[in-house]
Amino acid sequence: MRALRQVLKDWEAVIGLEIHTELTACDTKMFCGCRISHDDAPNTNVCPVCLGMPGALPVPNVEAIRCIVMAGLATNCTIQRRSMFYRKHYFYPDMAKNYQTTQGPVAFCMHGHLDLRVAGEAALERPDDTAQKADDGSYLARIGILRIHMEEDAAKMVHVGGAEGRIGGATESLIDYNRCGTPLIELVTQPDLRTPEEARLFMEGLRQTWLALGISDCSLEQGSMRCDGNVSLRRRGEVCMGAKTELKNLNSFKALHDALAYEICRQAEVLESGGTVRQETRHWEPTRRRTTVMRVKETNDDYRFFPDPDLAPFDLSDEFVEECRARIPELPDAKRERYQRQWSVPTYDADRIAGDPALARLFEAAVARAGVAAAPMVANVVINLVPGHERLNEAQVASIAQLLAQDAVTFAQAREVLDVVDGTDDDPERVVDERGMRQSTDADALDAIVREVLARSEDQVRQYCEGNRKVLGYLVGQCMRAAGGSGNPKAFNRLLSERLETLQ
Amino acid sequence: MPATLDQLSARQIAAGVASGAFSAVEVAQAALDAIAERDADTQAFLQVSEDLALAAAARVDALRAAGRALPPLAGVPVAFKDNMNLLGTRTTCASHMLERYESPFTATCVQRLLDAGATPLGKLNMDEFAFGSTTDSSAFHPTNNPWGLALVPGGSSGGSAAAVAAGEVTLALGSDTGGSIRQPASLCGVVGMKPTYGVVSRYGVVAFGSSLDQVGPLGRRVEDVALALNALVAGGRDPRDSTSQACEQDFIAHLDDPIEGRHVGIIPSLLEAPGLSAEVRVAMRLAAERLEAQGAHIVEVSLPNMASAIAAYYVIAPCEAFSNLARFDGVRYGYQEPGCATLAKQTSLSRARGFDQEAKRRQMLGAYLLSSGVYEQYYLPAQKVRTLITADYQRAFERVDAILMPTSPTVAWEHGAISDPAALYLADVFTISSNIAGNCAISVPVCLGSESGLPIGAQLQGPSFADARLLTFARALERSCSMEGLVAPGFAGRGGELA
Amino acid sequence: MASGQQLTRDDVAGIAAYARIALDDAELVEMTAYLNDAIALLQPILEYDLEDIEPTFHPIGDMANVMREDVPVPGLSLEEALANAGSREGRAFRVPAILDDGGGA
Repeated sequence: MRALRQVLKDWEAVIGLEIHTELTACDTKMFCGCRISHDDAPNTNVCPVCLGMPGALPVPNVEAIRCIVMAGLATNCTIQRRSMFYRKHYFYPDMAKNYQTTQGPVAFCMHGHLDLRVAGEAALERPDDTAQKADDGSYLARIGILRIHMEEDAAKMVHVGGAEGRIGGATESLIDYNRCGTPLIELVTQPDLRTPEEARLFMEGLRQTWLALGISDCSLEQGSMRCDGNVSLRRRGEVCMGAKTELKNLNSFKALHDALAYEICRQAEVLESGGTVRQETRHWEPTRRRTTVMRVKETNDDYRFFPDPDLAPFDLSDEFVEECRARIPELPDAKRERYQRQWSVPTYDADRIAGDPALARLFEAAVARAGVAAAPMVANVVINLVPGHERLNEAQVASIAQLLAQDAVTFAQAREVLDVVDGTDDDPERVVDERGMRQSTDADALDAIVREVLARSEDQVRQYCEGNRKVLGYLVGQCMRAAGGSGNPKAFNRLLSERLETLQ
Repeated sequence: MPATLDQLSARQIAAGVASGAFSAVEVAQAALDAIAERDADTQAFLQVSEDLALAAAARVDALRAAGRALPPLAGVPVAFKDNMNLLGTRTTCASHMLERYESPFTATCVQRLLDAGATPLGKLNMDEFAFGSTTDSSAFHPTNNPWGLALVPGGSSGGSAAAVAAGEVTLALGSDTGGSIRQPASLCGVVGMKPTYGVVSRYGVVAFGSSLDQVGPLGRRVEDVALALNALVAGGRDPRDSTSQACEQDFIAHLDDPIEGRHVGIIPSLLEAPGLSAEVRVAMRLAAERLEAQGAHIVEVSLPNMASAIAAYYVIAPCEAFSNLARFDGVRYGYQEPGCATLAKQTSLSRARGFDQEAKRRQMLGAYLLSSGVYEQYYLPAQKVRTLITADYQRAFERVDAILMPTSPTVAWEHGAISDPAALYLADVFTISSNIAGNCAISVPVCLGSESGLPIGAQLQGPSFADARLLTFARALERSCSMEGLVAPGFAGRGGELA
Repeated sequence: MASGQQLTRDDVAGIAAYARIALDDAELVEMTAYLNDAIALLQPILEYDLEDIEPTFHPIGDMANVMREDVPVPGLSLEEALANAGSREGRAFRVPAILDDGGGA
């Protein structure tokens, strides 16, 4: 098989994603008052409704509806005021009623989009002539969202007797209905994605958005956020879609990327050798790094959809929608923009912090204390020092950022100080002073040391002038020795460099 | 003091218990006694719940002993169609599929009667999963019409109608999807009402046609039915049933109001319908005359789309039935075929053995009608017909307060005499349109057929949520027909003595 | 299969397989006859002019937005949940080998 970038020069990959997210922020299931289960003992969060017992009836969870409306608003969808629940029939024991309650042609949210900014390595996958790339190779892609609809999750099954707990070869299956009925939103994209990196970025961006909204814990490992992909190839310039395969078991961002990459290359190989791609569902095997066939889709399943007679139709009021809108916090993209534009935070830092609600909260609170001018340093601290010191409060973050900005401590010293104060209410500044760690920022005193060291280091000065820049480190060390406890390596480095330049 | 329980109305029983004339336990024992005597002939019951009955009655007696006020149906013997969950009983829907199924909870409608102090005597026979109009399709045994044991009681709430008609219980609950309360009520000579859709909670009642099903009471007099309805709506709408509606009416308060000056509609073309027996035609004329004699104006109305109601019903009902019965796969409950190596085999065989013929037919029809390409041709048009029928009723009810028509085209027939499903389907013609439109309807015994000697009920239909007023008309008709409280001959006084 | 046409035995066998109802040959013949009779009864529906009519899916016209608060309500205990199970294994419901991967939730 040829490599991905080679393949994508000749073929256009048409990729779509279907992303299911459990609304773990809700307390109860979609259609009954059972608690949403978090690793509880099997079959202990169940009732006649979610077990599909005869005579049981569903009643929708209003908080789940609010969550999906928020999700739609945050992804630029139109909120359909009128929609209904439908029944989707298939016989499978993880669906307690042998039909899933879901939506029909009209979903709560329709026709949205998310914009991707693809940069760096990720941007290299896309052939240059297929996107408007900036000088640094980055580009923007608008990915259409066809719909987000409301449905209910299935039960968990454990297959016994087969290989790797897989269903193939199993002699029996055991069913736990705790998860059955959990509110699930399904987002279906338009097939606007063109590279595996774009798919990965879309998934990451969506996850950040859902996290910011607080509707789900979005754990791919635990399955509260699940992604299926579909991909087909066509020659550049063609409009028709090729046969597409569906990919399942994409339970990490890496799996999503790698499975799509593999599949694109596999399909290219098939087509280039004159074969046809079969419409089928394939399973990603991460250890063997390949996709294998799950089942061949010969005909489309006929799910016998019809509107659910047990559930009232929806006609959402403007008030309801506006209440949901009011609950939407500042989203990652907006934060990113604001951090960069207003606070001059570098792109990478802004990206990382904006996408993580907990970090963003800490960051913004610390900046409120430390002052906007210190924002870039606060960002630096949040990215590089907070991981490893999980219990810092915003006052401590603000304080250490200020100390760093003033050059009063080195990064290494800051780390030490935070080791001490993490989990306490102690003020970093007090620790610095107690331990006499404060570096001198007294320019004259530092300069005097620099001059004195240079005066007794003629050899090294000569080496520097001859081009050996490495002696600078030695000279900085000498200055630090002379300074005792109050040395400031950065300052020494700068002062030495300036003086040495004048001696050239 | 009357000799037997079956001579008392629900009001009289509750009053007697409240005054101490007899205890609830004594009433319960009388009812058990009557059932033991009479049910051998009617076979109305699938299960008699002696323990539950005596326990509930004892609780009522304890309330009285503690000097507390008694609820409105204190001590009144009731029984429930076996598609209604009641903790402590099996709920079988008269099917092998649920033969061993033990109710894990109690249906709201059942609970509300229990909360009103009623004594639960057990579960009543029905057509399997409510598919049918004879009760002969019960997987366990047929029920016999108390007016002639060789005759069907009607269906699908045949057990409910027979138990009431034979005086085994005072009240029964049935369910009506296409006439399944009203038709057996007519065939057995009792009162049976289908309230407006949404008035009575469906939570806990095994679903057949979700947009058509309604639970309703059967009794030997309109007042009993009205009291039951009061208990069923007490507590407001049911939050466990999305389709449940708030209903603040008091069904007793205006029961005896005069109907003078009110308008009752009749549809002459219906009385010319083929298959309508002469006896029924006579009974309808009698009913109209009696209403007129009380000052009502008889007005001709039309429901132009009524003829299409059968087709619409036989699209919507099977589709919803297939969907609602898909859950019966033997995994979580219900009949499980033993020794199957694969799930598909287990499911297919469990369903093949668990369901009898009519249940399989309805599901297959529904599965076909919902399939891609077919759905657009039948289901959507059927729901459009529903719109037309609903509009027909609305227009008619602008001119009249109630519509009078037959309940069943004939009196009761012999077990097995009508075996062609299509013929049985067509017999639903008078009752189906109220399920399609959702409005209220009641069957009231009018007279006995002059040839057959068998009871004939007239059907009154009212606008949605005007159930209380419909009962007023029913009471007016009942007053003039002298069949109030009638127990089928051959059953009155057999067992059930009150000390 | 187009409407207005008769269902063949194969058509009906397909429906039975989908609906998970095992039918032997005799039953298949009978069911095919029944279904074709039933469909004939429904023919009137195909002939109506329903051009400008909206479908009514729920009999109560103005019923809308029925929801409940996100508040837990006690459910069934493990024993109650499993009480009616045909086969169980420990705390789970048990089914024999599933040979396909289902419809796809």
